[in-house]
This record gives sequence, structure tokens and C-alpha cells, in this order.
Amino acid sequence: MTVYRRLEGKPTRILEKIKESLDRLNEKMDVMIEIQRHGQRESQTIPDVLDVMTLLSLPDHLRKTAVTLCKLGHATADEVAEQTKRARAVESGYLNQLVLMGYVKKERKGRKAYFYVEKEAEG
Amino acid sequence: MGKILALHSYKGGTGKTLLSINLATTYVKRGKNICLLDLDFRAPSLQAVFKTNDAQYWLNDYLNGVCEINKVLIDVTQKHGKSGKFLVGLANPTTEGIREMSAKDRKWEMRALGRLLSLKASLLNDLNLDNVIFDTSPGLQYSSINAIVSADIVLVVTSLDASDIAGTQRMTRELYDLFDKKTGILMNKVPAEILSSKKEKEKFYKHFNNVHNLPILETIPCFCDLLRAGGTYIFTEEKPEHPFTKILDKLATKIEHF
Repeated sequence: MTVYRRLEGKPTRILEKIKESLDRLNEKMDVMIEIQRHGQRESQTIPDVLDVMTLLSLPDHLRKTAVTLCKLGHATADEVAEQTKRARAVESGYLNQLVLMGYVKKERKGRKAYFYVEKEAEG
Repeated sequence: MGKILALHSYKGGTGKTLLSINLATTYVKRGKNICLLDLDFRAPSLQAVFKTNDAQYWLNDYLNGVCEINKVLIDVTQKHGKSGKFLVGLANPTTEGIREMSAKDRKWEMRALGRLLSLKASLLNDLNLDNVIFDTSPGLQYSSINAIVSADIVLVVTSLDASDIAGTQRMTRELYDLFDKKTGILMNKVPAEILSSKKEKEKFYKHFNNVHNLPILETIPCFCDLLRAGGTYIFTEEKPEHPFTKILDKLATKIEHF
């Protein structure tokens, strides 16, 4: 009887409060998930464009790599390094930096990683 | 392997088109196989000069990915070649064509750069041409910067106009140097009296080498005969003994060894 009264009294209100808080939290989480999903979709449909104005704005070391990749079209870090006369590891670092910046794409074929600005067949 | 030359300038009206055409014919006269491309999509001029209606496709179509470059090129060897092969690619001169090109977005310009870069292989390797000459739009805009990035040598045409000189200096620092381009200056429309004596000429060269911090490949005096011709014929073809033709011949040799 005492236990029942305790549940009907203060502790029940506490549980109700917790439920209310959880509901509010759930609502906020839903909004955050939606914002994140929307943001991802936006960044997928409007990628950064490696046009000449972007090339001009890049730091010298990345510009050299980016222009070389534009000339080669589709290349490994080895192939870019051969043109720029810089070490493969250096070019690999720069190419991956350009991938992170959204200007260059990367795909794996077997053990090799290929970098490209845009595939001919793409939109 | 042959080279792609881009004639560019800060301001319009410096003589890029005139020098592009006459440089092309100078090389063709020497037996070289040359392709001249009109990349000035805002003010196309080569159709009026070559007076041809043979274009099935424009360079605009090539950059749009509608056709390959061989569909654009017009063989003018019979009329203008004589020794070497002479091909020209025209830009669409209609108002609609110009308007369409000025409304392109960044993604299109990125693809256009890819198409221009691939010309090196398709023209110099596959068609076995000795030189490709780009006649570009003046100033800093997409079509001209795309052309500069795709070229091996940039020839900057300047006048003695103060704003032109200042703009050329800025482009050297902020464009040609950034793309590591081999760049030379062509000083055009220079009043003849400035170059009257050897001493004056040396002083002039020394001064402008410092001003531009680039080699002055040639100074071309102001010729009234050129103005009189008004672009109705190709000067170096029609006037083989004229001083302008001799200067262009000297320039062609300098570029070959540049």
C-alpha cells in the first residue's frame, strides 16, 4: 500500500518529467538527423569545382598537382609524380588533400588508387 | 613535339588577332603544319578574315562536347597554305552563339578546360601539326585563362598605353607566373621614332624588360599600311617584302628557339 502510494505520488511525477524530457530530446535528435541528412545531400549534389579560378586560388604546391591531374585526366600518384618531378609520397599527400577539399575524386582498382577530376561519363 | 602558343593581352585591341593570323601564315610559308583556333568567343573574328562558310561545327560545339575537333577544323591550305598545311577552327560569331557562351557555369568551364587540354594530344600528336596558335579573349576571364593553362608558350601583346602596361604587370604576377608558363612580351604599335636608332632601341628594350620582368620577344612598330589594309587580306601573304612581314619572320624564329 505504501509502495503504491509512493508510485502514485512524487516518484510518478518524476517519471513523467523524465518522459517529457526524453520526448523533447527525441524531437531535437530528429531535427539534428534531418539537418545532417540534408547537408550531406547538398554536398553530394554541389561538389567543389576545380575550374581555373579555383586553380588560381590554390596554394602553389597544390596548384601544380591539380593542373597536372587536369592534364592527365585519370592518374595514380606515381603518374602525377613523374610529371611534377616530385616524390610519389609528396604527390600522394597533395592528391589526398585535394580529395578532402572536394576538388578531386579517388577510386581503387585492385591495389592501385586512381585520382580524377571528373569522369567523362558523369552528368 | 610541337607547341601550343597562346596570344593574350590585358586589354582589347592590342593586335592579338592580327599577330596570330600573320604568325600562323609565316609558319605555313616555312612549310610548317599549323592550326589557328579562334578562342575569343566574345568577339570572334577569324570567319571574317578567312571568308569561309565551310564551318559545319564551331569551336563552341567542340567545347560543348557535341563533336570532336576534326569536325571543327577547316582546311584553308589551298587558298592560304602553299607550303605547309593550314587548318583553322572558328568561334561562332552569331549573337546567339556569343550570348550562349557568356552564360556558362563553372562546371562547364571545368569541362571546357579538359577539352582544351586534350587538344595537345589530338592536334599535335594525332594530326601531326607543328604548332597550334590560340587567339584568345583579352583580360582575366574563363575562356582566356583556360587557353593559357592549355598552352605551352604565352605571347602577351601589349601597347605603350599606361593602363595596358600596369594590367600586363598584374597578369604576369597573378596569372602567368602562377601557372609556370613560359611567357614572352610582344610590344605592338610602338611609334617608329622610339626605335629610330640602335641606342634608343637598346634603351627601350632594357626599360621594358625591367618593367615586365619578362623577355621582350619583339617590338612591332605602328604601320599605317596595316591600318589601311583593315584586315581585308592577310598582310604577310600579300606583302612579302614589307617590314612588318620581315619582323614577323624574325619573331617566328625567336619563338622556335624560345
